[in-house]
Amino acid sequence: MAQITFITPSGEEVTVTAQSGSVMQAAVTNMVEGIDGDCGGVCSCATCHVHVDPAWLDKVGAAGDIEKEMLELEDGSSDHSRLSCQIEVSDELDGLVLRVVKN
Amino acid sequence: MAENTFDAFQKARREEGALDLKVGDETIPLILRFHDVRKAAKNWQTYSSDAPFRVPVPSQEDLRSVRQLPIEVDPPQHKEYRAIVEPFFRRPTDPAYIAKIEALIDQHLDEAIARDSLDVANEFALPLQSKSLTLLLGVPIDHADLFISWGNDVLRVDPASASEELCDAYIEKQLDNAAENPGDDMFSALNAAQYQGRHLTREEKIGFANLVFAGGRDTIINFVTHTLAYLAQNRDAFERLRDEPDLVTSATEEFVRVFSPLTFLGRVCPHGAEIHGHKIAPNDRAGLCWLSANMDETVFKEPEQVKLDRRPNPHVAFGSGTHNCLGAPQARLIMRTLLTKLPQRVSELRILDSVASFEDWKVYRRQNGYKRLDMVFKGH
Ligand code: HEM
Ligand code: FES
Repeated sequence: MAQITFITPSGEEVTVTAQSGSVMQAAVTNMVEGIDGDCGGVCSCATCHVHVDPAWLDKVGAAGDIEKEMLELEDGSSDHSRLSCQIEVSDELDGLVLRVVKN
Repeated sequence: MAENTFDAFQKARREEGALDLKVGDETIPLILRFHDVRKAAKNWQTYSSDAPFRVPVPSQEDLRSVRQLPIEVDPPQHKEYRAIVEPFFRRPTDPAYIAKIEALIDQHLDEAIARDSLDVANEFALPLQSKSLTLLLGVPIDHADLFISWGNDVLRVDPASASEELCDAYIEKQLDNAAENPGDDMFSALNAAQYQGRHLTREEKIGFANLVFAGGRDTIINFVTHTLAYLAQNRDAFERLRDEPDLVTSATEEFVRVFSPLTFLGRVCPHGAEIHGHKIAPNDRAGLCWLSANMDETVFKEPEQVKLDRRPNPHVAFGSGTHNCLGAPQARLIMRTLLTKLPQRVSELRILDSVASFEDWKVYRRQNGYKRLDMVFKGH
């Protein structure tokens, strides 16, 4: 189980509790603003783009090759970018802070 | 099955990365590789959409008189135009809307099961698409009868077709009605909308509405017919969806990847461009080939295999970047609902007879759907 905090594009902080699945799913279930998850998590829509808080980069890990390729051409992309559908919820991630990137 | 069933561009993509399409006097190099297509879709300065009638190929000067919005415009104007209609296109994520689509699909499955056989193209996909569109537009569902009567070729490339006029006449009438009796529909929203601090012109409103009909019709019909035919021909895939209903979302993405209902779209190069040695003169066009990008073996492992659980699946069937498909939530909802309900309600799908439809541009030929698809839906 993990508590994950999203900082939405309008500056709101939303903390959700997730058991399993992807971080995108947790956000969509809790209707976090700016995370739409349109493609259902197959890495095709980029409506789940987040910036990972620098303190958490190591634990969250780096994007895979295809995810990198997707992010490279996304607006608002940075070294901290991930597609949240590609991050699995785990106990390790308890306390994680993510900034939602506006589509 | 024949080799390269899905991948009409394999050789050219591997060897050159571009393929010259001849359309009348025009030569339009199609961009074929995944990365190149995505890069070009982002680079509107070089590959521009700011070209009325010229995003579709062949171009549509003879077919309509208004610029389609927001597809035939570049950033930064694009953003404000797109924002006007975006809330409508996101309706399919609303639970009440989802319930309506579910009921609609149940109703169509009831009918399909009750009948000995039916033509999935004209008696299933077309009415389903038309009724779904009334929900999206927020107009009475019986308007679908009119959309259906336009036939399966609305806004097709045949200038002799009368459907275009019928469609425009409908749009004009709805805009007038909405002006008198504003409601919760897209026409009222267009009448009320502001762009750069002013109301939309009549032409702009028609341009928005016109694209909803043009973009959402054949694409959905081809997507549905192709997918149902596939499930009839591949029993194991059908059974797998029954056993593993969680696969519905990834299966939907996989079907839209392999069938890529829109093969490619055009862009105008105001300053000229060059792609893998294929030169594009200033103001000539290039094409972004979604289908070929979706078959790029450097990105998709065994791209011609349909893998219902393919992940990641970064396909560009709905486009990429700025102009990515506004209708995608609608298309996804229809397909996800269909793939959920079909195995629950139908034990066997069988094709009795079919007439495939092809896109034939000489340098490539592909099946894009079915003109007729007679099928049996056997209930449980
Ligand atoms: C499986 C079905 C569909 C496919 C494969 C598809 C494909 C596409 C593609 C590839 C684009 C990108 C155009 C470009 O880059 O120039 C696009 C844009 C668009 N599509 Fe779809 N589409 C589908 C369904 C729909 C539906 C159902 C609607 C409407 C009800 C729709 C409306 C639009 C609109 C309005 C745009 C323009 C977006 C913009 O310019 O910002 N599409 N579609
Ligand atoms: S949900 Fe579509 S890319 Fe993450």
